[in-house]
Amino acid sequence: MKSVFITVWLKEMTDALRDKRSLMAAMSYAFFGPIMMAVAFMMVIKDAVSERDVYVHIDGAQYAPALVDFLGDRRIFAGDEENAAREIYLEIPENYEENLASAKPVYITVRSDYSERSDGSYRSRVESALREYNNTIVSHRLTLRGISTDVISPIRIDKQDTATKEARAAMILGTVMVFVLMAIFFSGMNVAIDGSAGERERNSLEFLLAQPVATHWLVMAKAAAAGTFALFGGVLSILLIPLVFIFVPLEKLGIDFSMSMLDQLGIILVLIPLAAFASILQLFVSFRAKSFKEAQTYISLVMFIPVAVIFAVEFTRFEHPALSVLPVTSQHQVLLATIGGQEINWLMVLGGAGVTVVVTALLVAVVTKMLRSEKVVFGL
Amino acid sequence: MIVTNGLAKAYKDVKALKGLSFQANDGEITGLLGPNGAGKTTCLRSIYGLIHPDIGSAEVDSIDASKSPLEVRKRIGIFPDKFGLQERLTAREHIAYFAGLHGLHGEARKAAVQQVIDDLDMNDIADRRTGGFSQGQRMKVALGQAIVHQPQNLILDEPSRGLDVMSTRILRELLFRLKGQGRCILFSSHVMQEVAALCDRVVIMVAGQVVAEGSPAELCARTGQESFEEAFVQLIGTEEGIML
Repeated sequence: MKSVFITVWLKEMTDALRDKRSLMAAMSYAFFGPIMMAVAFMMVIKDAVSERDVYVHIDGAQYAPALVDFLGDRRIFAGDEENAAREIYLEIPENYEENLASAKPVYITVRSDYSERSDGSYRSRVESALREYNNTIVSHRLTLRGISTDVISPIRIDKQDTATKEARAAMILGTVMVFVLMAIFFSGMNVAIDGSAGERERNSLEFLLAQPVATHWLVMAKAAAAGTFALFGGVLSILLIPLVFIFVPLEKLGIDFSMSMLDQLGIILVLIPLAAFASILQLFVSFRAKSFKEAQTYISLVMFIPVAVIFAVEFTRFEHPALSVLPVTSQHQVLLATIGGQEINWLMVLGGAGVTVVVTALLVAVVTKMLRSEKVVFGL
Repeated sequence: MIVTNGLAKAYKDVKALKGLSFQANDGEITGLLGPNGAGKTTCLRSIYGLIHPDIGSAEVDSIDASKSPLEVRKRIGIFPDKFGLQERLTAREHIAYFAGLHGLHGEARKAAVQQVIDDLDMNDIADRRTGGFSQGQRMKVALGQAIVHQPQNLILDEPSRGLDVMSTRILRELLFRLKGQGRCILFSSHVMQEVAALCDRVVIMVAGQVVAEGSPAELCARTGQESFEEAFVQLIGTEEGIML
């Protein structure tokens, strides 16, 4: 019976490889995720790393030339015609010098719409520059009076970050891994639809089912063909991620990203049962549809579930022991652990793979039963 | 040899088959003639085990179709009601695919496929993808995939629908050749002339039941009509649904 499996698988693969639509879909999802994330990271890094000049309105600059120079050192300037000032107003009072000389408080106003988020970082830069200037004056005054500046800062905070570079990477790059899982779910979709709802649409399903082939071999071969494409998409994105991230200066964020060949191989092995699960799930849905389009509608609804689950786990950092063994989430955890440089609990990985395989086998049985039903096959 | 014994099948409130019994012998062409909606397709689907009758049985070479459908399907070639082709495969790949499903492999499969391609005179289209085929070319591929495993029994569901003269001739020649090899051929039709020209025996069915059985000449004699067409009309009792 094995030879029937190979015959159907080969035929479905030939068919799918000649279908530009399936090929493009498989490739595009695999490319799309990593490249999009890389571009996003590049933007974030550029924003976070480069101190840009800030132009604000400074009223009364003539009363405090030293302060204005100090701000200038911190790349905060008064706006002019060339560089329009932001809606941040710095007002230096007329009595600035006088109050400073007589050790009275000087009130400098920072006026701005504080609900305006886009100016937030600039406001805090202006404020922190002013605080810094304040501290400079304080230390000057104390030094003149022969008092150590230590007196006024009894407690100092010494930040020691124990996060490894990999752990920090896991936090940020977890999102990239979500795209690997999505590639698995989307790359084989067209092949699955073509082998099920497509057969029905082109009226070839009846003849196929009337062949002397046990239905479960037919179902498994079709799932295997779609699964091959799904896995191909996943593998492509896994191989692409390290390549793409060579061009992203992650070290500027204090992140170290590395993925060895061995890591990649491990991930690919973990993805195999997931690809089978995704494909049989898609066959289950699209064998119920009467046409290609109808199947696409159903599938995009159903595919939303695993994607939503992954994103929910990713962003809420929800933790539960069951997540390590359920399909989709167990694979997600392995991916996170790998890029986090954590010890991988292979027992859990095997457990997750086992549960995924069992669920897949159950779905094979359900789809087989469906295809033996006259109601489903002929739509009676 | 194909035998049905009292086949009955109901879908909700529609009774498609009501105790249908007939026999199609080896070395004969048997025509299943009936107006649209008489239950012809349901009957044929029961023979290849895709539909399970409520009562009765369908047997091919004395094997029960609902008990061992795979054994039955090995012994029959099917030209179904609706045949869709895999449009991205060539005609040769298409036929080879179904030869593979029938358990043919390697050189044996290659030879079987080439044999069919020669028999159906389709060497000119064998290595083209079926996507752009005409109706006649599509029919050849469908026939090829039905007979590539050289089945003892051939079942055709309205085979001549939408075919031009040349394609119909090819179909007829093939059926006569297979009959000469002692195979059992059963085909359904609602086209009178086709049945009269081809069949050794005719089974006339109306509303899921057999109303008459015999050679065209016998049926004419029984009804006292000169033409087979008149005989048919008298037998089914109405002129509805007949294509002349």
